Amino acid sequence: MRLNIPDRYLDLLPWLFATLLVAGIVHIVSVLLMPTLAPNDALARLASYVKSAAPAEGLVMLPQMAPGAETLPFEDPAFAEAVCVYDLAKGPLRVKTSVDGEDFLGLSFHGVAGRIYHSMTDRSAIKGKIDIVVGDARQIDALTSADEGDAPPPQEVRLTAPAKRGFILIRSLAKRPSDQERARSRLSAISCQRFDLPQG
Amino acid sequence: MDLKPYANYLRAASAMIAGVGIGLFATILSLNAGYGFNSLRAGPWTAWPHIGGADIDPYARAVISRSGEAPLGRDQGLAFIARADSNGAPLSAECEYRIIDPLPAARFWTIALANPHGRLLANPTERYGYSSVDVLRSEGGAFEIDVAREARPGNWLSPGEAKDFVVMLRLYDTPLDIESAPDPNSFPKIVKLGCA
Repeated sequence: MRLNIPDRYLDLLPWLFATLLVAGIVHIVSVLLMPTLAPNDALARLASYVKSAAPAEGLVMLPQMAPGAETLPFEDPAFAEAVCVYDLAKGPLRVKTSVDGEDFLGLSFHGVAGRIYHSMTDRSAIKGKIDIVVGDARQIDALTSADEGDAPPPQEVRLTAPAKRGFILIRSLAKRPSDQERARSRLSAISCQRFDLPQG
Repeated sequence: MDLKPYANYLRAASAMIAGVGIGLFATILSLNAGYGFNSLRAGPWTAWPHIGGADIDPYARAVISRSGEAPLGRDQGLAFIARADSNGAPLSAECEYRIIDPLPAARFWTIALANPHGRLLANPTERYGYSSVDVLRSEGGAFEIDVAREARPGNWLSPGEAKDFVVMLRLYDTPLDIESAPDPNSFPKIVKLGCA
């Protein structure tokens, strides 16, 4: 008689395992799907802001941060920021500027679903210049094969983006609140432009 | 009505429903717990260096896609967040705190307040943080930042009318080794001065 109760529980044991298995699968799938399903990730927020901005191409300044007027959460209020939202289906992209070596300038290259595939600061500028080409694998291949020959090696850094869509976030530090204007003017000196692949 | 022939179907259905519920609950719990694995802790401060690189884990990707933030790249610096004071008590705007140096080596740093969702806190001073350049220092370079609703002389940050807040410490171009546990004594302390 005493064994009857454990027997009933033993019968339920496979169902308990099934429950846990389903729970595990649901958990893993929901975590993995979150980046694709989240409707309001950083790319979506920036793309919708850029759409409403005046020049909807190239580098777009983000408004100065203020309570209730942040484009993205968890950004440093000491910074002025600009963004270049891109779609490589239309062609590769070139980001170019010169740096003074004194003020902090950070560039981060974001693919879809929250992945940063490259980040740098003005410290890694080459001879005071930042010159970066972003393309998909095919575009970068085309550029590399166009180099071959007797031309001098290119000074630019080439990045292969993991996805067609993404954005480049550029942060310029205003050391004091009164430096905001200067920080913004350094941002506006940056160009982020699509260019055509060399023919051939 | 005799349900006995369908008992297994009922069990299967309840296992499915319970499984989906538990699975989603586990997802919500894990996404609210921070940015996945490999956090860097020093006193009250926590950073997740890997969210700024290509090897970000799936939990961290889920968290940042949901919150909509664009984290700092790993080669740019580190962002630390403090949700509690140095004694481990959660930060509350009802209380007043003092943030006391030292700071780890970095080209620049900033200390700023935000709400737990990363929004700036409206306050009458319109100052949201200090940087290594504009913080007032005593002779010898030491500094203190007071967090209080009422005005303070010296470095003062106000949480305004918010109830909860977090302190963000960002180190830019820092040589801090992210592979080993940092020394808590090289990070600022957050000391509670008193509560209203």
